[in-house]
Formats: sequence, structure tokens, C-alpha cells
Amino acid sequence: MTPRPLTPARYVASLVAWVALWLPVAAVAVVVGGRLWTWGSRAQMADVLWLRLEWVATASAVGASLALAGLAMQALLRNPLAEPYILGVSGGAGLAYVLGSLFLSVAAAPLLAMAGAMATVVLVYAIARRRGRLQPYTLLLAGVILNAFYAAGIMLVTAVVRPEQRGEIAVWMMGNIGAFGPQWPLIGVVAALAAGAGVLFAFLAKGFNLVAVGEDTAGALGVRVHRLRAVTFVAASLLAGASVALAGPIGFVGLICPHVLRMLLGPDHRRLVPAALFFGATFLVLADLAACFWEGATNRAVPVGVLTAMCGGPFFIYLLRTRWRKRMEVR
Amino acid sequence: MRPDDAQAKRGGSPHPPRNEGHERGGYGDPPRGNLAPEPATLEAEGLRFAYAPGEAVLAGLSMTAPAGRLTAVLGPNGSGKTTLLKVLVGLLAPSAGEVRLAGRPLASYRRADLARRLAYVPQETLAAVGFTVRETVLMGRSPHVGALGFESEADWRAAREALRLTETERFAERDLADLSGGERQRVLVARALAQEPDVVLLDEPTSFLDIRHQHGIYGLLRHLVGEEGKTVVTVSHDLSLAAAYADAVVLVARGEVAAAGTPLEVIRPEVLEPVYETPVEVRTDEATGRPLVLPRPPQR
Amino acid sequence: MARRRHPALAAALAGAILAAAVTAGCDDGPAPPGAGGDASAAPPQPLRILSLAPNLTEILFAMGLGDSIVGRSTYCTHPPEAAAVPAVGDTMHLDLDRIIRAEPTLALLVTKRTETVRRLEGLGIRVVAVQADRMAQLRETIRTLGAETGRPRAAAGLLDRIDADLAAVRRRVAGLPRPRTLFAFPMTVGSSRIMVAGRGTFVDDLLAAAGAENAYPDRADWPTVSPAQVVAMRPEVVIINAATAGPADRKDAIRRAWQELASVPAVRDGRVHILEAKYLTIPGPRVGQAARALAETIHPELATSRAAGLPARRATRATPRAANVSSPHGCHWRLVRQCSANRHALAGKQPVAPRAPDVAEASP
Repeated sequence: MTPRPLTPARYVASLVAWVALWLPVAAVAVVVGGRLWTWGSRAQMADVLWLRLEWVATASAVGASLALAGLAMQALLRNPLAEPYILGVSGGAGLAYVLGSLFLSVAAAPLLAMAGAMATVVLVYAIARRRGRLQPYTLLLAGVILNAFYAAGIMLVTAVVRPEQRGEIAVWMMGNIGAFGPQWPLIGVVAALAAGAGVLFAFLAKGFNLVAVGEDTAGALGVRVHRLRAVTFVAASLLAGASVALAGPIGFVGLICPHVLRMLLGPDHRRLVPAALFFGATFLVLADLAACFWEGATNRAVPVGVLTAMCGGPFFIYLLRTRWRKRMEVR
Repeated sequence: MRPDDAQAKRGGSPHPPRNEGHERGGYGDPPRGNLAPEPATLEAEGLRFAYAPGEAVLAGLSMTAPAGRLTAVLGPNGSGKTTLLKVLVGLLAPSAGEVRLAGRPLASYRRADLARRLAYVPQETLAAVGFTVRETVLMGRSPHVGALGFESEADWRAAREALRLTETERFAERDLADLSGGERQRVLVARALAQEPDVVLLDEPTSFLDIRHQHGIYGLLRHLVGEEGKTVVTVSHDLSLAAAYADAVVLVARGEVAAAGTPLEVIRPEVLEPVYETPVEVRTDEATGRPLVLPRPPQR
Repeated sequence: MARRRHPALAAALAGAILAAAVTAGCDDGPAPPGAGGDASAAPPQPLRILSLAPNLTEILFAMGLGDSIVGRSTYCTHPPEAAAVPAVGDTMHLDLDRIIRAEPTLALLVTKRTETVRRLEGLGIRVVAVQADRMAQLRETIRTLGAETGRPRAAAGLLDRIDADLAAVRRRVAGLPRPRTLFAFPMTVGSSRIMVAGRGTFVDDLLAAAGAENAYPDRADWPTVSPAQVVAMRPEVVIINAATAGPADRKDAIRRAWQELASVPAVRDGRVHILEAKYLTIPGPRVGQAARALAETIHPELATSRAAGLPARRATRATPRAANVSSPHGCHWRLVRQCSANRHALAGKQPVAPRAPDVAEASP
């Protein structure tokens, strides 16, 4: 592929191409997942359609958020193993959600989860700050410590509650797209955050490229490295926290999607950011559709996080072996 | 067009004459580069900087890099050269003193403006994240491209020119990770050139290069000064190499300027020995008229 | 006439002796050693029972054996007298220390785990594991308990009471239409599936007694169904048993969730009810009460006619809620009592007395 300048026209064209991938997949997922053609009465079909729309919207919003957050975290920490939950956000949001939904208030549980995520952001920032700056190394350490703390907290809650609630916690921890109960406001929030972060990261993409190659050169080229780090950290954490509030901690999406995209598109974040948004959405919609088929066949629900791990792993190994492009992953 | 060829065509020595002066020696009036760069003087006054309280790295350092000249910053290890360069670029903020570009303090420039005028070639090795040489050089255009990073033909032209000048065109599409150290160093310089700056600051650009590439880089720097009229400041630890090519020399010791002037004035045993704390012998290279530094084993 | 009074006196004496004999064998006190009509299996030592299931504890108390219970599981909270008995954990986690100190002679539990049985037997206790998944099994269990404790007549008496309760309920609903009813539990966090009572459970038997047809068609125990499957089942009545503790706004969340399924007849007609009574899922002495509660929920017109009901045995607390009549149908998501009260008020009939002794909302 001969290299060409990244002009606005080409950018918009690639954006349109990504939307053209996601929209049909989402539409098919709605129709096929609910088997809409099998319902006799319109009222029944309307009910199932509404539910499927809700769940596909959830999958899209959460997939987009997680993929973007994963990409940002990998750029921020310069670490290929970074994923959205590495800085403790899923633990903070998760513990708050579990406590809220079991004891305090079902309706307020997502809000509590967001509050937990934001509190974690503040905590990590305070712990990791050195002379007013965030270094990747200290961020990672602070995140690992907090994750361990939250895991202990959730284990404590699990040990203390009744057995039936224990099962609930365990299922929630695996991450689940579908929920019985209207969640449109929360879906709207997550979608808005994903869109907003997409725009924000599109403007920061230049800086991500430069920082990835070298911090000093990035600074000399006009990038405010430390401000970039702080903004990215907060935005990625909010994305992750909101996703956890909506669908629980779905793992693997935030780790896999950026790497797959890097293999397809190269390391340039200007291309990666819009791709991550729509590819992440498509990815999770497909995973949810697979979970739907599974449920239809076995009459048992499988958490979508399990599917993403089981299917994503081997696929990633395959990609790694065949090396679609010579471009390396983040080193 | 290799800088050496240009010099050979013009005849005469590739180096400026012995005496300092306003002439740019041997090259006539330099033709202007792509964008007519304004001669930009880089001045530092009373710089103080410490990484940690009590450990001052720069202790009231003042120096001037004259416009359109190649200034070499010399000094022993730990004298603060790299820190000085970072402060000059604006990466580090001094606790006292100021840096002025073309008479205006650095702080008065907008970051994007500053990035368009100052280019920095650091000593760091580039992290190999999969970018090609062309993409890396294009990153040098980032102060010129818009917020979203869209590139225009002008950007690609500037990148091509930078690749040509540094003779890195032939591996433009190769992954940075596949290059040798010297080639990568040239790519870094190319990226700085793609910025189309007025001032280029380099931190030991030849430390890992063999003699051919060392002279190649310095020849390129002379071209930048002579043909393009840029101001170049380079940190070096090779005294002879610096002496051979530089118009002006600044000798830094313990965070202060120990001596400044032409190579002939500064590269002298009585100046160098107290700073480096080792006996040196200075001879004159008959072909160029420039000083050659020969260290002598310490007499104990 | 002296001659006539003699046989009468003899008859009276005989009757008195008989009555004394009968009452001597009656079960309203701790069983004396070796007493009871079952000589073959009754152990000679005093009866010290370890009851590790809530329904078994209730059955034992109903049989008058409350004083013989020396250990209970942590979940055995009914009747209130059970609280006085020390708790020794539950079938999953036994506090062997406390069990040994209680010195039980008989352990009763509902489990299929042989490991627990073996562990207790290892302590030298006689262990009897029973099942109570269906009504037939419940009867079997009560008889077994009667045999094991040496009180077969108490067991028979309990069975008679239960049968009478259920028969009364059946009488009341006879002739009424049998709606498709789904007995469900609240949705859980992180899952879209809802647990329901299948046709293999005793709740199914209760639903049948209460004059309803289980909307779930298969012979499963406690399956989970997806919302799409609920839509396909088209239940006419939905009963949600929100018995376990949860956050305060849980019922609102449940209502909002079910309102999404607008095509379900129960949702459309406002026949989704949330009942908080725990005894609905405890196969024990209160099954009659459970059947009655279900019947009154499923057939609201029954709530007024309690004349044919049973004598109020237990005083129970009712938590009245404010009525909120918001649609021509009378009510949507209200608790059973107030719902029926409102409908009758609307229909111009006499409102129900606010505090009837037997209510569906009895706190367990």
C-alpha cells in the first residue's frame, strides 16, 4: 500500500467505511438475535425488538468505550498489556455498584459506580503524582495496588452476604450485556461519553503518536506531555467506569481491539481512534449475538465476557501468527 | 546534493576561515531555504536549574548562540550540557533566568509557534513502535499541521526534502526498527529539518557514529548554517570534531560557562585543562587550520 | 332408673378412660422417653433433634416438638420461638463444634449431598435426609418425621390440617377460570434471565390448588427464562416473590422492568403482583396459607369472601400501603389486599375491613 497523505477527505471516507461496517452488523444483530420474524403478534415482536435494540445499543456503547479506553491506556502507559481496568477503575466502580445494588438502591447503583470510578481516578492521581507529573510507571503501580484493594473489598462483600446474593455478584463480575430493566438513560450516557472521547482522542491522536516515539521530542514538537497524560487518564477512566456501571466489567475487549486494529492499520493513532470506536462497537455486538445463539441453543445464559475471552484469544493468536501486516504491535 | 559535494564544487576548505567574523566564509551569501528563515539568535541569561533541591545543575549560566552560526557546546560529563539544551528548547523551565529567541523570551511564544521555530534532536533512541521512516519524519510537521493531524502536499514536500538532505530517502518506507543506529540518528535529524525551523539544537548527534557518519552529520550541519541560514547549536564531547566545524564554542563546566569564543580562542590547553582536569595537548591541523586536541595520560 | 344409669355411667367411665388414654398419647409436650406409638424405631434416650432446614423446623414446631429441637440452621427463623434454639450453621457450612455441644440424637435435613450426611453420621448422630420438592414428597416427609420422632399421630394431624387448608382453597376457586400464571423471582443484577417455578416444584402444586395453570410448560424445577421466553409464554398473571432482603427501591425496579414487556397479558391487565411473603416457597405447615395467598392474588374477587376461610391461627402484621388508583382497570402494581379493596370500592361495594387477620403480606 503506497503511503498517502492523511487528508480530510480520506479521513471522512474511512469514517464512513467504519460506520458502514457497524450499522449493518448492529441491525442484523437486532433482527437475528431476537428472531424477529418468528413472532406472531406485532405486540410481541415490538417487545422483543425493543429489548434487542436496548441490548445492541448497550453492546455498541460499551464496546466503543472499552476499545477507546484500551487504546488510550496503551498510549498513556506505553505498555501493550494495558487495558481499561488496569488503573483500578473497574474495581472502584465494581465495588460501589455491588454495594449499591445489593444494599442501597437499585436505581442509584450505576451512579454509585460512576462515583466509585471517579473517586478511584482521584486516588490514583494523588498516589502517582510526582512533582506534579504523572509517570507511566507510578500510574501502573498505583493502579495495581488499588485493584488489589478493591478485589479484596469485593471478596469481603461476597463472604458476608447471603448465598443467593453471592451468585449475583459472581455473575455480575463476569460482565453481561443484557439486563432486565430499562437502561436507556445509562446507555445514553455511555454512548455520549464514547462519542465525546472519540472526538477528544481524535484531537489528541497526534500527541499520542509523538509520545509513543519519544517524550522529549514530543515536548519539543509542541505537545504538552503532562497535560496530555492527565487528560487521557481521566477520560479513559471515565469511559471504563461508565462501561462497568452499565454492563459490569467485561474484559478483553479493551485489550484486544486496539491490537487487532494496529495489525490492520498500523500504529498511527489518527487512524486508530475512529477505528477503535466503531470496531469496538461491532466487536461487542458480534460477541453479544454469539451469546444470544448460545442462549437459544442451550437455554442458559453465558456472560459475554466469557465469550470475548474464549473467542478473542485464539483469534488473536491466529492474527499474530499470520501477521496481516508487517507493522509491529506496540513494543 | 551532498554537503561535501557542494563544498568541493565551491572549492576551498570545507570549513570556515580561521578568524571569526561576520563572513560565513567560503560560501558566499547563503541562499535561503524553503521558507526564508529569519536569522534567529538564541540567548540564555542567568539560567539556574536543579532537578532536586540542593543539586543545582545550571548555576547562573549565560550564553549566546549567534544567528546563522554553528555553535558547539562542550564540557565534561555532568557539566549540565544536556540540561542546558533542554532549557534552551523550552522542555525544562529554569528556576531563574530566561531564554530569548530573536530577542523575545521563550515564554512569550505560543507552543506551536515555538515548535515551528525551534527543532530539537535529542540523544534518546526512538522507541520502535512500528512507524516507518517517512512517518517519523512527517511527525516533524506536527507544529504545522492542524489539530486533527491532516497532512497537505506542502507537508509531504518538506518531509521529502528533509529525507533528501539527510540521504535517508532510500529507506523511507522501512520500519524504523530495521535501521542501524547511525541511520536512525539521521532520521531524527531529518525530522528536525522537516519542522523547517529557524534554530536546530542537537544533543551529541554523533556519539554512536563511525567517523564517516560523524563527518557526514557535521557536514550537514554546516550546510544548514551555510545554505539555509539556520542557527545551529550542538552539544558535543568530541573536542576536535567540534573545533573542526564550529563557528563558536561555549565551554560549560559545573553549570556555568567557563569560556566562550571561536574555536581557536577556547580550544587551548590553559582553558581546557582546568575544566577537564586532565593534561591536553593542542596541535593545529595544517590542512584546516583548526585545533586538534590530543589528551595526554594523567601524570601521577 | 338405677338400671339405666349403670350402663351410662359405665359408658361415661369407659369414655373417660379412653379419653385419658388418648390424651396421654397426645402430642402436646415433650415426648417422654419411649413414649409414642412406634416402638420399633424409637430410641430409648430423650429426643434431641437437630433441624437443618427451615421447613423441617416449622414442621417440628407444628407437631409440637419445638422443645426437642436443640439445634437449627441459621435460616430457620419461623416460628419466632425458633430463635431461642442455637444456630449451628447451614447444610453448606456446619459448625461442628456447636453441633457436638448440642448433643443431638437425630439430625434432619433436606439435602442430596451425601458428604454432609456422612459427616453428621460420623459424629454418632442418626441422620435422616428428606426431600420436599413436591406436595407428595412433603406429605412423605411429614410422615417420615412422625415416624422418626415417634409422633406419628402428630404428623397425621398436621397432614390433616394441611389437606383441609388446601381443600378449602380448592373449594373457593372451583369454577373460576384458571389463568396462566407465572411464579417468578426478581431479576438479578447482571443477568437478563428470571428464575421461575417450573412444573416440577411444589409451588406448581400450590398454583394448581389456587386455581391457576403454570405458564411455564416444562417439568423443570427452578429454571431461568429469558424475557423473550416470557413474552412467548403470555402469562395472564405474574407473581413475583421478592422475599429476600434488598434495597428499598427494589420493587420499583421490578415494576419498571416488567413494564417493558407490554405485550404480556399480565402486564397489560395490571395483573403483575409482588408478594414479599417468604412462606410461599417453604414446603411446610404454611402451604395452606401460601395457597390461599396465591389464590387471593390470582383471583382478586376472593379477597372479600373469607367466611369459608380458616380460623385465624396466627396474628400477623399487615403493612398497609397507600392506594394509588391510576387507571380504569383499578390498579397496576399494587399489593394484593389494597388492590382488591380498591376494586371493590370502585365497584361500589363495601370496602374490605382494613385489617383482616389473614393477609398475603404477612411478614414471615
